[in-house]
Amino acid sequence: MSKKSEEIIIPEIETEDTEQIFEPGHGINDKLQVEPSLVHQAHDYKKDEDTVATYKIDHATKVALETGTAPVAKKKEKVKEPAGPIFAVQRIAALFMFFLIFVPTMNPARVSALVNKNLSLFTSAVSYPALTGDVGRGFRAGWIDEGSFVLLYIGAIIATLGIIALAAGACMSLGNNKLKRLSFIFSIAGAAVHLVGLVVIAISYGQFADARKQDKVGAEFPTSLIVFGVLAVIIIATTVLAFLIVPKPEKGEKFEMETKFKLFLMFLPFAILTFVFCYLPLWGWRVSFFDYSVGDTLSMDKWVGFKWFKHLFENAATRRDLLHVMRNTLAMSGLGILTSWLPLAFAVLLTEISNTKFRRFVQTFTTIPNFISWILVYTIAIAIFAPEGFINSMTGGSTNYLMGDNFTWLKMLAWGTWKGIGWSAIIYIAGISGIDRQLYDAAHVDGANRFQRIWNVTLPGLIPTYMVMLLLGIAGMLSNGLDQYLVFSNASNLEHMQVLDLYVYKLGIEGGAYPLSVVIGMAKSLISVALLFMANSVSKMVRKESII
Amino acid sequence: MAKYHNKLQKNRRFEAVSPTGEVIEIQEKSIRKHHKFSTGDKVFFVLDYIFFIVFTISCIFPFYYLFINTISDAGLVSKGMINFIPRGLNIDNYLALRNVSDLGNSILVSVGRTILGTALMVMASAFVGYLMTQEEMWKRKFFYRFLVITMYFNAGLIPWYLNMVMLGLTNNFAAYIIPGIVAPYNIILVKTYIESIPGELEESAFIDGASHFTVFRKIIWPLSMPILATIAIFGAVGNWNSFQDSLILMSDASHLYTLQHRLYIYLNQTNNLSNVMNSSTGGGTALNYAQNGQIIKYTISMVSIIPILLVYPFMQRYFEEGIMLGAVKG
Repeated sequence: MSKKSEEIIIPEIETEDTEQIFEPGHGINDKLQVEPSLVHQAHDYKKDEDTVATYKIDHATKVALETGTAPVAKKKEKVKEPAGPIFAVQRIAALFMFFLIFVPTMNPARVSALVNKNLSLFTSAVSYPALTGDVGRGFRAGWIDEGSFVLLYIGAIIATLGIIALAAGACMSLGNNKLKRLSFIFSIAGAAVHLVGLVVIAISYGQFADARKQDKVGAEFPTSLIVFGVLAVIIIATTVLAFLIVPKPEKGEKFEMETKFKLFLMFLPFAILTFVFCYLPLWGWRVSFFDYSVGDTLSMDKWVGFKWFKHLFENAATRRDLLHVMRNTLAMSGLGILTSWLPLAFAVLLTEISNTKFRRFVQTFTTIPNFISWILVYTIAIAIFAPEGFINSMTGGSTNYLMGDNFTWLKMLAWGTWKGIGWSAIIYIAGISGIDRQLYDAAHVDGANRFQRIWNVTLPGLIPTYMVMLLLGIAGMLSNGLDQYLVFSNASNLEHMQVLDLYVYKLGIEGGAYPLSVVIGMAKSLISVALLFMANSVSKMVRKESII
Repeated sequence: MAKYHNKLQKNRRFEAVSPTGEVIEIQEKSIRKHHKFSTGDKVFFVLDYIFFIVFTISCIFPFYYLFINTISDAGLVSKGMINFIPRGLNIDNYLALRNVSDLGNSILVSVGRTILGTALMVMASAFVGYLMTQEEMWKRKFFYRFLVITMYFNAGLIPWYLNMVMLGLTNNFAAYIIPGIVAPYNIILVKTYIESIPGELEESAFIDGASHFTVFRKIIWPLSMPILATIAIFGAVGNWNSFQDSLILMSDASHLYTLQHRLYIYLNQTNNLSNVMNSSTGGGTALNYAQNGQIIKYTISMVSIIPILLVYPFMQRYFEEGIMLGAVKG
């Protein structure tokens, strides 16, 4: 087991090591540092610096090739990009614009209340029916001329195409000088086209604003139009600057891009997705400083500073709720941690059985509950424990075991254990099969009985894995998950059921108290990360291995 | 373990001192053939078997109980007579599901998101996992951490919700698919797996002038099938079971509720389900047999459990591989 677990846990470190050795370009330098005598020799050979450099590289490459320490190291001098900062600004602006076309709140085509506010610029440009939505009645009633909508649609298309072109340009600018030249064309043209699109949208806005039935049309100038305009101008300016700085491509140069940038561009869409769905939500933390309710736009007059943070401690009702919630959360997690050895015991007991078929059978069926959702677990709970369920039809009673608040924590623990134990045990079962059989034989020779063998051989072999699981459990102490408590909670047991995740859900999603629930969520996230790091450093201290 | 490790050493030393090899062999045989169970062992085994039999039954019986209640005569079921043996077999309850409003829609949504979401997630994980093994990539380490950090940190439920609102992903089927495309945990699994594939294969392809896309498609993709199957099966189960996103994001679009969400709603309507059915058109005889709302809930549950139960035995190997690979990152 110990060998296997090491193998399993550290591959990451191994790759980091190899990386340093094989990083293109690095190998050569390392070689040189190791062999200073070569440099001396080279100096004696000729004083001319350039020749020395060539000699160094050639020799190092030869050494590397002969010894096989470096895979075909390319001769590649690091060229400093002359227009680096300018390109950086241009690329960031282009990336930002590309991102904004998918954000409904930043849709410049939303010139009127008639346009659905969940529409992004991209959707507006792709689908005319989506853009007009259900304005059909408005056209017939003469609120607005359909021509204005068509104009708006055309403007959105032009603006979107422009952004796509300039984004492509920004990607190409990672290539060689020849590709950069092409990228200038894309960037300038894209930005110009985009500006044209914005102008078209602005004209159509004028028509909306002139419409007579303003109470129906509700024309409003989209502020995002200005944002897009400014960004487009920035792109034009930076592109022109870069054009002046970047040297002309040599004759016969082909369109090329370094592999590292090619790979980066392949990854870029996924990086954007990750950013949008995992990092962008952090932006929502700002809500905690405002008086915010559903559908509001945040403006400075709603700024309340630390009001909601203070509210947590100063408002007696909230404080009482929170104490309750924390008690439940810590109690359930605590029970979970106290019983975290159960899967280990399960595994040990199961592996003591020598009948393989029986073992296989048990393992298959005890892992199934892990793969059904908590809602289905709840159905099962109803089927067994509800008034018309199995227990009552056996005893002839009609008690509803799901209502009431007796032993709520223990019941939840029991459901969690029932669902998860078979699955959690697998890792220990695998661990046991990795323990050297000789150890058992040796124990046997010493006259150890079954329990002594379990105690002295099996358990010590599983402790490292158990430690990891325990530490991860401690790190996740505040996250009990929402599903289980949501489905099992009812009016009679909420008092002991309300864990942090459920509380935040009820407060925020059901109650609409966004700022307060964001504050609580923030505290939870930060404490969880702190716990994780603590668990990790404990692990590093005790086991000399990190768990994350 | 350390203690016995030392013992083992001692034993070996003893073996080394012993005059002939025979002694050692006899000793080892005696260990292997030692099958005599003490009384303590017998008691232990009996208890051990009893425990596992009882626990395994507790894992199987609820499903069985649900199932026999859905296929038995409704009259007997409502009297609580169906506990162990199904009686009056019929499939009326399943036929009656046709009349449960919106159920078909929810099944479509669940199936759709499971297939589409899983396929995109697997392809993305494979490709990103491959890119993450390419040490040449610009800022590779940074981006790898950028991905991995997201597993340990999230902004919280409400910021996530507000973000989805801002992106227009509420009441929108895309909300089931797009956020799940990049799955950092699966990417790590794939990356670790690809690292175990001999690098020479890739290198020789590059020497032959293949592009990264070609290498990915022709070499990496087919060779990493085992791990892709594993993450696919996990992804599919996750998609099929998910209900939080449906609950939170689809509040105004009941035609986009997932099957689990629909079931949750039905479970919370204590007795209204038969009303739902009666109000819908074309009840017929099947309906008369299935007046009991409780049984319809069981039937819907069975519909959402059956795919998992059907897939499980074939995929168990992958599930188990999955958890072992999970240990990779500890």
